Amino acid sequence: MEAYLGIDVGSVTTKLAMLDKNDELVASLYLLTEGKPIEMVQQGLKQIKQQLPEDVDICGVATTGSARYLAGVIVGADLVKNEITSHSVATLQYLPEAQTIIEIGGQDSKIIIIRDGVVIDFGMNTVCAAGTGSFLDHQALRLNMSIEEFSRRALASDTTVRIAGRCTVFAESDMIHKQQMGHRTEDILYGLCQALVRNYLNNVGLGKDIKSPVVFQGGVAFNQAIVKAIQEELNIQIIVPPHHEIMGAIGAALLVHEELLNNNNGSKFKGFGVSEVKYHTSSFQCKACPNLCEIAQLSLNGQVLARWGGRCDLWERSPSS
Amino acid sequence: MRVGIPHMGNLYIPLKALFDRLNVDCVIPPVNNQRTLSLGIKHSPEGLCIPFKLTLGNMIEAVELGADTLIMAGGTGICRLGYYAEIQEQILHDLGYNCEMVQLGVSEQKLFGLLKIIKRLSNYASWFKIISAFRFGLAKLSALDRIERVVQKVRPVERITGAANRLFTKAIKAIDKADDYATLKKVQIDYIDQLNQIDKDTQYKPLIVGITGEFYVLLEPFSNLDVESELGKLGVEVRRTTFISEWTKFSLFLNPLGVNEKARIHKAALPYLKRDIGGDGWESVGEKVLHAKEYDGLIHLAPFTCMPEIIAQNIMPSTKENIPVLTILCDEQVAKAGMLTRLEAFVDLLERKRRKGNNR
Repeated sequence: MEAYLGIDVGSVTTKLAMLDKNDELVASLYLLTEGKPIEMVQQGLKQIKQQLPEDVDICGVATTGSARYLAGVIVGADLVKNEITSHSVATLQYLPEAQTIIEIGGQDSKIIIIRDGVVIDFGMNTVCAAGTGSFLDHQALRLNMSIEEFSRRALASDTTVRIAGRCTVFAESDMIHKQQMGHRTEDILYGLCQALVRNYLNNVGLGKDIKSPVVFQGGVAFNQAIVKAIQEELNIQIIVPPHHEIMGAIGAALLVHEELLNNNNGSKFKGFGVSEVKYHTSSFQCKACPNLCEIAQLSLNGQVLARWGGRCDLWERSPSS
Repeated sequence: MRVGIPHMGNLYIPLKALFDRLNVDCVIPPVNNQRTLSLGIKHSPEGLCIPFKLTLGNMIEAVELGADTLIMAGGTGICRLGYYAEIQEQILHDLGYNCEMVQLGVSEQKLFGLLKIIKRLSNYASWFKIISAFRFGLAKLSALDRIERVVQKVRPVERITGAANRLFTKAIKAIDKADDYATLKKVQIDYIDQLNQIDKDTQYKPLIVGITGEFYVLLEPFSNLDVESELGKLGVEVRRTTFISEWTKFSLFLNPLGVNEKARIHKAALPYLKRDIGGDGWESVGEKVLHAKEYDGLIHLAPFTCMPEIIAQNIMPSTKENIPVLTILCDEQVAKAGMLTRLEAFVDLLERKRRKGNNR
C-alpha cells in the first residue's frame, strides 16, 4: 500500500496522519508532546506502525508545526512546511469553499482568510498566549478538573459572568474574585471561554474580514463551549471538521503527495527504525564573532546531524565538522 | 575624552571614520549580542522598547571599555525616543558610571548644530578639519548603503545561499579599514563587481516585498532577527526606502533647503492618517499606499510597545490599496522559529497568489 505521512509537532501535541494514494486517511495519532519533541516523534512512528498493514510503503514524509525542522531531520522528511500553509491545504481539501479558518492550538492561534481557494491573509498571535489552549489547560488544572469536564460544565452555564480576557494574569485574578464572590463555577468557566474568544478576535482576528463558511480546527475545537462562544460572538454558524485536531498533519501529507507527483526522486524517509535509536541534543555558544549566537545541535552516536540558531550560516553549512 | 557610540546597523563605521580623522579617541562596543541585550534589559524600565534596551546595553559595554562620553540621538519631534538619552544618562549615573551624554537632536540642531557638537567633541579642531572629516564619514556611509542595495538584489537569486551575505560582511570590514577616498572608491567598485559576478538563477523572478516600520528596528538586524537575510533565503527581493545615507542627505542638507522627500509618502497616507503621530507611523501607512502596485507584499516592523507603529498597524488593513501586510513585533525574543513560520507562510501566500494571477 502506498502511503504519505504527515507529522505535525506542535508545542503541546504531536500529530501524525497517514494518507493512502487517494488521499484517504488510513491512520492517525494524537499525542502530548510533553516538551520532548524527539521522543514523541519516535513514539508516534512506533505507534502508527501498529495501525498499518505489513505491506505499507511510505512514499513521502512531510513535517510541520513549530518543531518541523527538528522532526524533519529525525525522520528524513521530503518536505518541511509551515503550519499555516499545511492547515489551509487540509481545510480546502475538506471544504473547498471555505473562506475563513480559525485555528486555536496549544501555544499558537491563527486566523487564515481564504478567497477563491487561495490564502489571501493570515494572522497569528504575537506575544500573548491568552487566546490559546495552554491558558484553558492551566485554568482547568487550577480548578482541579480535566479539560473535558471544563468543556461540559461551561456548556451548562445560564448566566454570563464577565471575565477580563486581555491578559492571562488579569483573567486569572478576575476569575478568582468572581469565585470568591460566589458565582457559579459553570458561569465563570463560560465567561472564560467568552474572554478567550474576545481576545482571539481582537488580537489575531484584528482587521480581518471573517466570512462564512468558517472552519474551526486545532485542539481547542474539542471544547464545545468555545465553539458556542465563537458562534455567539460572530453570529455565524461554524464548522468543526471531523479530524480538526490533526488537520496540520493531514495538510503536510497532502502537500508532500502533491510535491512528489511533480518531482519524484524517491522518499528520504529513514524508516520506522529511527524510533529505536538514541538522539542527543545540546547547545553551545559560538565564539567566532561578537554575536555570540546560541547554537543548538542534534547528534546521533556522536555524529552531528544538524545545527540551528546561528545568525550566519557558519554552523548550518558544516553539520559534519 | 573617549567617545562611546551605541549601535544602529553599520552606522558606527562612518562615525568612527569621522572621529578618527579628528583624532578623537572613540570606543565601539561589541556589536549587539546576547550580553548587550541582557545588560540592557536588566537596567531598563520593563515597558520600554527594544531600541532603548539595546542602546543602553551598548552604552554600558562602551563605558566598561573606557568611554567617558556617549552620543545618542535625541530631541523633539520623533517619539518618546527623543527622551531616551536623558533616561539612559540617569540610569548610567545611578549605576555609578561617571559619563557624559551628548545628545544629537538632528531635527532641531540641523547641520550647523551638529557640526558645533562635533567641534566641541573634537576639542575645538579647525572648521576645515571638521568639515573634511564629516565629508569622509558621509562617503563611507553612502558606500555602505550602495553595496547593501546590491546585496538586497542578489540575495534572492544567488545559487549558493549566503554568498552575498559573506561578501557583504567582507565589504563592511574593507570599508571600515579604508583610509582615503581612493581606497574607499576602489573597495566600493570592487565589491559591487564581485556581487554582480555571483552565480545567479537568471530564470527565477523573485517576489518583491517591501519593508517598512520604525527606523531603528529596520536598520539594526539584531533587533529584527535579520529579517532581510531570511527573506532573501526564501527567494524574496527586499525593497527598503529607509537608508541612513538617504536620511542624512535629506535631514541635514535638503530639508533645510525646503526639499522634503517624505512629502510624497505623507500625501499618500493622507486619506487614512492626516497628521504626524510621532516616530515613523505616518510613513509606514504612506509606504503601503504608495508602493502597493510595485510590491507583492509588505513587512511592517514595529518595536513591541511602540505607539506610532501600533496606530499604523491598525490603519493598514483598511486602506483600499490592498496588498498583504505582515507586522512583526520586535522585542527581546531571540529564537527565530516564530518569525520564520510567519515569513514562510507569508511568502507561500504571496507565491500562491501570484501563481493564481498568472493562470488567469
